[in-house]
Amino acid sequence: MADTATPAKAKVLVVDDSSLVRLYYRSALEIAGFEVKQAINGIEAMEKVLSESFDLVIVDVNMPRMDGFTFLRLLRSGAAADVSTLPALMISTESGEQDMAEARVAGANFYLVKPVAEAELVRHVCVLAGVAL
Amino acid sequence: MPALAVALAREPIPRVREAMMTALIRIGNAASIEVLLPYLRSQEASVRAAAIEALQALPEAIAPFMSPLLNDGDSDVRLLATELARNMEASEATRLLCELIEHEHHPNVCAAAIDVLTEVGTPEALPTLERCSARFAATPFLPFAVSIAMSRISGEES
Repeated sequence: MADTATPAKAKVLVVDDSSLVRLYYRSALEIAGFEVKQAINGIEAMEKVLSESFDLVIVDVNMPRMDGFTFLRLLRSGAAADVSTLPALMISTESGEQDMAEARVAGANFYLVKPVAEAELVRHVCVLAGVAL
Repeated sequence: MPALAVALAREPIPRVREAMMTALIRIGNAASIEVLLPYLRSQEASVRAAAIEALQALPEAIAPFMSPLLNDGDSDVRLLATELARNMEASEATRLLCELIEHEHHPNVCAAAIDVLTEVGTPEALPTLERCSARFAATPFLPFAVSIAMSRISGEES
Protein backbone atom coordinates (compact mmCIF):
# COMPACT_ATOMS: atom_id res chain seq x y z
CA MET A 1 0.00 0.00 0.00
CA ALA A 2 1.24 3.52 -0.73
CA ASP A 3 2.31 5.43 2.40
CA THR A 4 0.62 8.67 1.37
CA ALA A 5 -1.81 10.91 3.18
CA THR A 6 -3.04 13.44 0.66
CA PRO A 7 -5.61 13.03 -2.11
CA ALA A 8 -3.05 14.30 -4.59
CA LYS A 9 -1.05 11.12 -4.09
CA ALA A 10 -3.61 8.58 -2.88
CA LYS A 11 -4.46 5.94 -5.46
CA VAL A 12 -7.90 4.36 -5.79
CA LEU A 13 -8.94 1.29 -7.77
CA VAL A 14 -12.54 1.45 -9.04
CA VAL A 15 -14.03 -1.98 -9.80
CA ASP A 16 -17.36 -1.95 -11.62
CA ASP A 17 -18.60 -3.57 -14.82
CA SER A 18 -20.41 -0.36 -15.84
CA SER A 19 -18.23 1.98 -17.86
CA LEU A 20 -20.58 4.83 -16.91
CA VAL A 21 -20.15 4.18 -13.19
CA ARG A 22 -16.38 3.92 -13.54
CA LEU A 23 -16.30 7.19 -15.47
CA TYR A 24 -18.52 8.92 -12.88
CA TYR A 25 -16.39 7.81 -9.93
CA ARG A 26 -13.16 8.57 -11.75
CA SER A 27 -14.32 12.07 -12.64
CA ALA A 28 -15.37 12.87 -9.05
CA LEU A 29 -12.23 11.41 -7.51
CA GLU A 30 -9.79 12.98 -9.96
CA ILE A 31 -11.34 16.39 -9.35
CA ALA A 32 -10.76 15.75 -5.63
CA GLY A 33 -7.10 14.98 -6.34
CA PHE A 34 -7.03 11.19 -6.32
CA GLU A 35 -5.26 9.03 -8.87
CA VAL A 36 -7.77 6.50 -10.21
CA LYS A 37 -7.31 3.14 -11.94
CA GLN A 38 -10.13 0.89 -13.12
CA ALA A 39 -11.08 -2.77 -13.38
CA ILE A 40 -14.23 -4.33 -14.85
CA ASN A 41 -14.58 -7.35 -12.55
CA GLY A 42 -13.03 -9.11 -9.58
CA ILE A 43 -10.50 -11.04 -11.63
CA GLU A 44 -9.10 -7.91 -13.29
CA ALA A 45 -9.15 -6.14 -9.91
CA MET A 46 -7.13 -8.91 -8.27
CA GLU A 47 -4.56 -8.74 -11.08
CA LYS A 48 -4.30 -4.97 -10.55
CA VAL A 49 -3.92 -5.02 -6.75
CA LEU A 50 -1.22 -7.68 -7.06
CA SER A 51 0.77 -5.65 -9.56
CA GLU A 52 0.25 -2.06 -8.33
CA SER A 53 0.01 -0.33 -4.96
CA PHE A 54 -3.38 1.19 -3.99
CA ASP A 55 -4.69 3.07 -0.97
CA LEU A 56 -8.31 2.01 -1.42
CA VAL A 57 -10.48 -0.16 -3.61
CA ILE A 58 -14.09 0.70 -4.51
CA VAL A 59 -15.94 -2.43 -5.54
CA ASP A 60 -19.39 -3.26 -6.94
CA VAL A 61 -21.25 -6.49 -6.02
CA ASN A 62 -22.81 -7.76 -9.26
CA MET A 63 -20.12 -8.23 -11.88
CA PRO A 64 -19.44 -10.93 -14.50
CA ARG A 65 -16.72 -13.55 -14.06
CA MET A 66 -16.00 -12.61 -10.41
CA ASP A 67 -18.46 -10.73 -8.19
CA GLY A 68 -17.47 -8.22 -5.54
CA PHE A 69 -18.02 -10.52 -2.57
CA THR A 70 -15.78 -13.20 -4.04
CA PHE A 71 -13.13 -10.59 -4.81
CA LEU A 72 -13.19 -9.29 -1.22
CA ARG A 73 -13.03 -12.78 0.27
CA LEU A 74 -10.02 -13.53 -1.93
CA LEU A 75 -8.41 -10.20 -1.01
CA ARG A 76 -8.88 -10.84 2.72
CA SER A 77 -7.88 -14.51 2.54
CA GLY A 78 -4.25 -13.70 3.17
CA ALA A 79 -3.17 -15.50 0.02
CA ALA A 80 -1.39 -12.27 -0.87
CA ALA A 81 -0.42 -10.73 2.46
CA ASP A 82 0.61 -7.37 0.99
CA VAL A 83 -2.96 -6.55 -0.07
CA SER A 84 -5.03 -8.35 2.56
CA THR A 85 -5.62 -5.17 4.59
CA LEU A 86 -6.31 -2.84 1.65
CA PRO A 87 -9.33 -0.69 2.64
CA ALA A 88 -12.43 -1.55 0.60
CA LEU A 89 -15.55 0.50 -0.04
CA MET A 90 -18.37 -1.58 -1.49
CA ILE A 91 -20.96 0.33 -3.54
CA SER A 92 -23.89 -1.62 -4.91
CA THR A 93 -27.49 -1.43 -6.02
CA GLU A 94 -28.19 -4.20 -3.50
CA SER A 95 -29.85 -2.56 -0.50
CA GLY A 96 -30.93 -5.64 1.48
CA GLU A 97 -29.66 -6.36 4.99
CA GLN A 98 -28.34 -9.71 3.80
CA ASP A 99 -26.11 -8.08 1.18
CA MET A 100 -24.77 -5.56 3.67
CA ALA A 101 -24.07 -8.33 6.18
CA GLU A 102 -22.35 -10.40 3.49
CA ALA A 103 -20.25 -7.37 2.56
CA ARG A 104 -19.07 -7.04 6.17
CA VAL A 105 -18.26 -10.74 6.40
CA ALA A 106 -16.44 -10.66 3.06
CA GLY A 107 -14.28 -7.81 4.32
CA ALA A 108 -15.77 -4.50 3.15
CA ASN A 109 -14.82 -1.59 5.41
CA PHE A 110 -17.96 0.31 4.42
CA TYR A 111 -21.02 -0.22 2.22
CA LEU A 112 -22.93 2.36 0.21
CA VAL A 113 -26.08 1.88 -1.85
CA LYS A 114 -26.18 3.35 -5.37
CA PRO A 115 -26.78 5.95 -6.61
CA VAL A 116 -24.04 7.80 -4.74
CA ALA A 117 -23.51 11.56 -5.15
CA GLU A 118 -19.99 12.83 -5.88
CA ALA A 119 -19.57 14.62 -2.53
CA GLU A 120 -20.67 11.54 -0.59
CA LEU A 121 -18.29 9.36 -2.60
CA VAL A 122 -15.32 11.66 -2.05
CA ARG A 123 -16.09 12.00 1.67
CA HIS A 124 -16.15 8.22 2.23
CA VAL A 125 -13.05 7.68 0.11
CA CYS A 126 -11.14 10.29 2.10
CA VAL A 127 -12.14 8.70 5.40
CA LEU A 128 -11.29 5.15 4.32
CA ALA A 129 -8.04 6.12 2.57
CA GLY A 130 -7.02 8.17 5.60
CA VAL A 131 -6.62 11.46 3.79
CA ALA A 132 -7.83 14.96 4.65
CA LEU A 133 -11.06 16.15 3.09
CA MET B 1 -34.22 -31.31 -18.78
CA PRO B 2 -36.16 -31.87 -15.51
CA ALA B 3 -33.26 -33.95 -14.17
CA LEU B 4 -30.79 -31.19 -15.02
CA ALA B 5 -33.05 -28.59 -13.40
CA VAL B 6 -33.26 -30.62 -10.18
CA ALA B 7 -29.51 -31.27 -10.16
CA LEU B 8 -28.77 -27.57 -10.70
CA ALA B 9 -31.04 -26.57 -7.84
CA ARG B 10 -29.21 -28.94 -5.49
CA GLU B 11 -25.66 -28.30 -6.68
CA PRO B 12 -23.53 -26.37 -4.15
CA ILE B 13 -20.24 -26.24 -6.09
CA PRO B 14 -20.00 -23.13 -8.32
CA ARG B 15 -17.90 -24.76 -11.04
CA VAL B 16 -20.33 -27.66 -11.35
CA ARG B 17 -23.27 -25.23 -11.43
CA GLU B 18 -21.54 -23.32 -14.22
CA ALA B 19 -21.07 -26.56 -16.18
CA MET B 20 -24.76 -27.34 -15.77
CA MET B 21 -25.66 -23.85 -16.95
CA THR B 22 -23.38 -24.35 -19.96
CA ALA B 23 -25.32 -27.53 -20.76
CA LEU B 24 -28.55 -25.51 -20.60
CA ILE B 25 -27.07 -22.93 -22.98
CA ARG B 26 -26.25 -25.72 -25.44
CA ILE B 27 -29.85 -26.95 -25.28
CA GLY B 28 -30.86 -23.31 -25.72
CA ASN B 29 -34.66 -23.58 -25.85
CA ALA B 30 -37.49 -22.00 -23.88
CA ALA B 31 -37.32 -24.78 -21.30
CA SER B 32 -33.66 -23.91 -20.68
CA ILE B 33 -34.63 -20.29 -20.09
CA GLU B 34 -37.33 -21.32 -17.62
CA VAL B 35 -34.79 -23.34 -15.65
CA LEU B 36 -32.31 -20.44 -15.55
CA LEU B 37 -34.66 -17.54 -14.79
CA PRO B 38 -35.26 -18.28 -11.08
CA TYR B 39 -31.52 -17.88 -10.46
CA LEU B 40 -31.85 -14.15 -11.18
CA ARG B 41 -33.53 -14.02 -7.75
CA SER B 42 -30.76 -15.91 -5.98
CA GLN B 43 -29.40 -14.44 -2.75
CA GLU B 44 -25.88 -15.33 -3.98
CA ALA B 45 -24.20 -12.76 -6.21
CA SER B 46 -22.11 -15.42 -7.93
CA VAL B 47 -25.22 -17.43 -8.84
CA ARG B 48 -26.97 -14.33 -10.20
CA ALA B 49 -23.89 -13.51 -12.28
CA ALA B 50 -23.68 -17.04 -13.67
CA ALA B 51 -27.38 -16.97 -14.59
CA ILE B 52 -27.00 -13.61 -16.34
CA GLU B 53 -24.06 -14.87 -18.37
CA ALA B 54 -25.95 -18.00 -19.35
CA LEU B 55 -29.11 -16.11 -20.32
CA GLN B 56 -27.11 -13.50 -22.26
CA ALA B 57 -25.81 -16.34 -24.40
CA LEU B 58 -29.38 -17.06 -25.57
CA PRO B 59 -30.59 -13.69 -26.94
CA GLU B 60 -33.21 -15.19 -29.27
CA ALA B 61 -34.62 -17.64 -26.75
CA ILE B 62 -34.81 -14.99 -24.02
CA ALA B 63 -36.74 -12.50 -26.20
CA PRO B 64 -40.27 -13.74 -25.31
CA PHE B 65 -39.41 -13.52 -21.61
CA MET B 66 -38.05 -9.98 -21.66
CA SER B 67 -41.25 -8.01 -21.28
CA PRO B 68 -42.38 -9.87 -18.12
CA LEU B 69 -38.88 -9.60 -16.67
CA LEU B 70 -38.67 -5.87 -17.32
CA ASN B 71 -42.06 -5.45 -15.64
CA ASP B 72 -41.26 -7.68 -12.66
CA GLY B 73 -42.36 -6.38 -9.27
CA ASP B 74 -38.83 -6.78 -7.90
CA SER B 75 -36.55 -3.91 -8.93
CA ASP B 76 -33.48 -6.16 -8.57
CA VAL B 77 -34.93 -8.48 -11.22
CA ARG B 78 -35.75 -5.57 -13.54
CA LEU B 79 -32.21 -4.27 -13.08
CA LEU B 80 -30.59 -7.62 -13.91
CA ALA B 81 -32.99 -8.10 -16.84
CA THR B 82 -31.60 -4.98 -18.53
CA GLU B 83 -28.32 -6.90 -18.91
CA LEU B 84 -30.12 -9.55 -20.95
CA ALA B 85 -30.83 -6.99 -23.66
CA ARG B 86 -27.11 -6.43 -24.22
CA ASN B 87 -26.76 -9.26 -26.74
CA MET B 88 -30.11 -8.76 -28.42
CA GLU B 89 -30.60 -7.13 -31.81
CA ALA B 90 -29.99 -3.39 -31.34
CA SER B 91 -33.39 -2.05 -32.39
CA GLU B 92 -35.25 -4.58 -30.23
CA ALA B 93 -32.97 -3.93 -27.25
CA THR B 94 -33.52 -0.18 -27.69
CA ARG B 95 -37.30 -0.61 -27.86
CA LEU B 96 -37.44 -2.79 -24.74
CA LEU B 97 -35.15 -0.60 -22.67
CA CYS B 98 -36.84 2.64 -23.71
CA GLU B 99 -40.24 1.21 -22.74
CA LEU B 100 -38.76 0.33 -19.36
CA ILE B 101 -37.13 3.72 -18.81
CA GLU B 102 -40.30 5.64 -19.68
CA HIS B 103 -42.22 4.21 -16.74
CA GLU B 104 -39.44 3.09 -14.37
CA HIS B 105 -39.34 4.89 -11.02
CA HIS B 106 -36.18 3.28 -9.60
CA PRO B 107 -33.03 5.26 -10.49
CA ASN B 108 -30.76 2.21 -10.35
CA VAL B 109 -32.91 0.31 -12.86
CA CYS B 110 -32.85 3.31 -15.21
CA ALA B 111 -29.08 3.56 -14.73
CA ALA B 112 -28.64 -0.10 -15.66
CA ALA B 113 -30.80 0.35 -18.77
CA ILE B 114 -28.83 3.46 -19.77
CA ASP B 115 -25.60 1.51 -19.35
CA VAL B 116 -26.80 -1.10 -21.85
CA LEU B 117 -28.17 1.55 -24.23
CA THR B 118 -24.77 3.25 -24.18
CA GLU B 119 -23.36 0.12 -25.79
CA VAL B 120 -26.17 -1.11 -28.03
CA GLY B 121 -28.72 1.74 -28.26
CA THR B 122 -29.90 3.29 -31.51
CA PRO B 123 -30.78 6.97 -32.07
CA GLU B 124 -34.45 6.15 -31.37
CA ALA B 125 -33.45 6.09 -27.69
CA LEU B 126 -32.42 9.76 -27.58
CA PRO B 127 -35.83 11.32 -26.72
CA THR B 128 -36.39 8.75 -23.95
CA LEU B 129 -32.95 9.46 -22.55
CA GLU B 130 -33.58 13.19 -22.53
CA ARG B 131 -36.83 12.72 -20.63
CA CYS B 132 -35.09 10.39 -18.18
CA SER B 133 -32.40 12.95 -17.50
CA ALA B 134 -35.02 15.60 -16.74
CA ARG B 135 -37.08 13.26 -14.56
CA PHE B 136 -34.07 12.26 -12.43
CA ALA B 137 -32.37 15.66 -12.38
CA ALA B 138 -31.98 15.42 -8.62
CA THR B 139 -29.97 12.19 -8.90
CA PRO B 140 -26.66 13.46 -10.35
CA PHE B 141 -25.48 10.13 -11.72
CA LEU B 142 -28.42 9.79 -14.11
CA PRO B 143 -27.99 13.09 -16.01
CA PHE B 144 -24.26 12.26 -16.17
CA ALA B 145 -24.96 8.77 -17.53
CA VAL B 146 -27.53 10.08 -20.01
CA SER B 147 -25.10 12.69 -21.35
CA ILE B 148 -22.46 10.02 -22.00
CA ALA B 149 -25.03 7.65 -23.51
CA MET B 150 -26.44 10.31 -25.83
CA SER B 151 -22.96 11.32 -26.98
CA ARG B 152 -22.01 7.74 -27.78
CA ILE B 153 -25.30 6.88 -29.48
CA SER B 154 -25.10 10.06 -31.56
CA GLY B 155 -21.56 9.19 -32.53
CA GLU B 156 -20.17 12.34 -30.95
CA GLU B 157 -17.87 10.25 -28.78
CA SER B 158 -16.12 6.99 -29.65
